[in-house]
Amino acid sequence: MTDKASQQPSQTLTLSIDSRLEDTVLVAMAVRGVCAMTAMSQKELNRMELCVVEVVNNAIEHAYQGRSGHRIEVELIYSPEENLEIVVSDYGSAMPEEVRPENKKELVVPDPHNPDTLLASGRGLAIVEKLMDHIHYQSHEGRNSFHMFRAL
Amino acid sequence: MGFSNRQEADKTVVEIGEARLDASQATPFRDYMFDLINQGQTQLVVDLSQVNFMDSSGLGAIVSVLKQLGDKGAVELASPQKAVNDLFDLTCMDQIFTIHPSVDQALSGKPH
Repeated sequence: MTDKASQQPSQTLTLSIDSRLEDTVLVAMAVRGVCAMTAMSQKELNRMELCVVEVVNNAIEHAYQGRSGHRIEVELIYSPEENLEIVVSDYGSAMPEEVRPENKKELVVPDPHNPDTLLASGRGLAIVEKLMDHIHYQSHEGRNSFHMFRAL
Repeated sequence: MGFSNRQEADKTVVEIGEARLDASQATPFRDYMFDLINQGQTQLVVDLSQVNFMDSSGLGAIVSVLKQLGDKGAVELASPQKAVNDLFDLTCMDQIFTIHPSVDQALSGKPH
């Protein structure tokens, strides 16, 4: 048997929620469940939950301007011994070029002596960038998708 | 559920009765804290013991409390669970906030 033939096929879970911040917990719990199938530590599992919540929040707040009644889709593509890909998609406003992953911003390290570094918002995607192995964003025919990859 | 507060010694202990301080709770939490500050409560201890998940919006709400207080008072954190501690560590906010292992230690003034 070749290495390729011995690889297990990927498995996909597709979810959709309404664009309400209260509903992100549903996706969060599903991600925790799938991650619990892997060898991830509890800390890594918490971090995966954080990443998916940040990206779903971002879609609700920016793609849909905080309005409920719109669709957000989340796909979990589990490739055993390879990676877990999480795709968050919306049908709202596309992410501005300057905040897309290819124009990544580092997390601002807060300085207790400089109030300008104590930001009350804007950390979410920088956290995702820091924690995931790879991320990318695409917008095609009205569907915007944020892809996150985590090696297993 | 929700938020509550009590006076202990010369401080106001704010208990978060929610398992998640996320984007859906960030604004209610910030408003609750701003109300306390407007009422003159400026020595605040936030009891995080029931919070098992916090996102950047929840963190941002706590930062906005710190900024609202400015040099008029202090906000300290107590009893964070591991995932919450990790968020403060990841964002280097553990260098900004005094984080105590328990409310009792926050009240006695002993840091982490």
